[in-house]
Amino acid sequence: MGTSKATDFVTMNIIESSMISACREMGITLMKTSYSTIFNEALDFTCAIASAEGEMWAVAEFCPAQIGGMPLIISSSLKEIPLDTIHPGDVIVHNDPYRGGLHTPEHTLFCPVFVDDQLVAFTVAIGHVAEVGGMVPGGFASEATEIFHEGIRVPPVKIKKRGEDVEEVWKLWLANVRTPRYNYGDMRALISGVEVGAERLAQTISKYGVDHFRKICADLMDYSEARMRAEIRDLPDGAYPFHDFMDNDGVTDQEIRINVECFIQDDEIVVDFEGSSPQVGGPINATLGVTWSAAYNAILHLTDPSIPKNSGCFRPIHVLAPAGTVVNVDYPAPEVGGNTETHPRIAGAVIGALAPASPERAFASEGGTHLNFVFGGQDKANDEYFACYDIEVVGWGATRHADGNDATDAINGNCRVTPVEVFETRYPWLTEEVSLIPDSGGAGATRGGLGTRRIWTCLDAEITCSQLTDRHVHQAWGLNGGGSGTSGMTLYMAAGSNEWQNMMQAFGKASTSKWSNVVIKPGDRVEIVTPGGGGYGSPAERDPELVQEDVAEGYVTAERAKADYGLGAGGD
Amino acid sequence: MRFSDTGYYIERYIKCGNCGVLVYDEGVKASDPKLEGQTFCSDWCVDWRTQRVNGNKAPRIKTG
Repeated sequence: MGTSKATDFVTMNIIESSMISACREMGITLMKTSYSTIFNEALDFTCAIASAEGEMWAVAEFCPAQIGGMPLIISSSLKEIPLDTIHPGDVIVHNDPYRGGLHTPEHTLFCPVFVDDQLVAFTVAIGHVAEVGGMVPGGFASEATEIFHEGIRVPPVKIKKRGEDVEEVWKLWLANVRTPRYNYGDMRALISGVEVGAERLAQTISKYGVDHFRKICADLMDYSEARMRAEIRDLPDGAYPFHDFMDNDGVTDQEIRINVECFIQDDEIVVDFEGSSPQVGGPINATLGVTWSAAYNAILHLTDPSIPKNSGCFRPIHVLAPAGTVVNVDYPAPEVGGNTETHPRIAGAVIGALAPASPERAFASEGGTHLNFVFGGQDKANDEYFACYDIEVVGWGATRHADGNDATDAINGNCRVTPVEVFETRYPWLTEEVSLIPDSGGAGATRGGLGTRRIWTCLDAEITCSQLTDRHVHQAWGLNGGGSGTSGMTLYMAAGSNEWQNMMQAFGKASTSKWSNVVIKPGDRVEIVTPGGGGYGSPAERDPELVQEDVAEGYVTAERAKADYGLGAGGD
Repeated sequence: MRFSDTGYYIERYIKCGNCGVLVYDEGVKASDPKLEGQTFCSDWCVDWRTQRVNGNKAPRIKTG
């Protein structure tokens, strides 16, 4: 390992920038040509470039959940489709969670890049397809007890061969989803994204020559590895344990433990999840791809953000995820919630573990859920079924130097909330309220970020709703004496009633946070409350002027200002 | 991994006994009898798991 004396850092920087630019263009293509709001509004996708051997060379700054899992997805897929069977114009699709995938909605598309008749690279797009069949519209089957409840599973297959659609694959896939027109449009967008990227990359490779380009990329990965090793070397050696809990799995009420011990050993880190709960009956099991992704996500947060993100920077990180546990689920146990709900808990546990080693960069727990409110119904105007995956946002944990961000997507998302105007145009809901929740951030010298409240009224259609979320019980933890963030909550009010109830009370569900196929009728209302982030440091050390500002802005009530920070009405 | 004779489906998922990654080839076997029957993806994983089952709570195995 180590960059050779002949490393051309200038060309390396230019090529890396070109590749990232191509990845960004892939994402923009996806955003602008897709049909579903999960792509064109929420941007729930990632675009990358990989070598022909499956190592990630470059990735754009979209969704962290998919960035860390990319190397495993690529390498697993290429083990099943030999390189000598791949031709120009092919596109491969795959979503199998047990073969390197993240969860059933996440579809990975690969497009080979040929230059001078050589297969040099792949462009890759991973996107969350909103509707994948299975027992609920919108993909998050909270009451699933096996993979077959969670939607159609696609092993690595070609969806295009030598530039032509493979009709059998299209027909099979579209026959198993509720919204074939939207799925067709979204898949076409994913394909367009990787094909645009392939064209750009081929131009870049041609400009520099295949051999020189490969050498530069190899040097780039070695450079990233060296930078990451240098970061790790600066951390004190030692064993750093931590654990956190998922509330339940939606099937039973038992909490689930995420256990981690991080070993910093000179310039390497071993992230060992031994001691985590065995895999569970409900769909919050994480695949190995999710656990890799979460561990990498956490370490990237704690190291220099200028380190180029490619397979090289992950080489000094060893992730140990015992098979058959909640962090490495075995077939055929359900897993759809692992990518959105368990990933934040895993990443948070790694950050919590390494906080003593990296106090300047560590932060208290963020809200750690995407809320995953999914629904479907019949669009009367167009006489067509609609389905939606709605993401909500949470409070982030405070750092040593700053309050946590309010209303931001969880650590593995980087997704946007669909604007109310777009949401109401597409779906039969009226948005009554979207607001920040005072006092929801954990108290501290720096305060946790605020969660949000959203209230909808169902308009003129029956809507089948489901949700897979967490942090209704176990709150986002504070760090170094900081307080916890508040819990999330989902409530229902029937038309004509004035009583809010949770889903266990209203519909007899096993969990308040994980429930499936509740029919919401016109006039019914739904309220979603999202968790706040944890605080950092003792509240006694918070600058009183900042507390006063919080009260003036409505972030903290006068009552909590007195109770948490000792601030009286006179500001003293 | 064990695929069917046709290659159309997976008969058995085989994972490394230490890190949990899928093992597509024959894998690596450990000589320690405590690890008999398990498959590993690499010598690194064999070394780590061997030391752990024999009481070393923090093995150090360098790769780079």
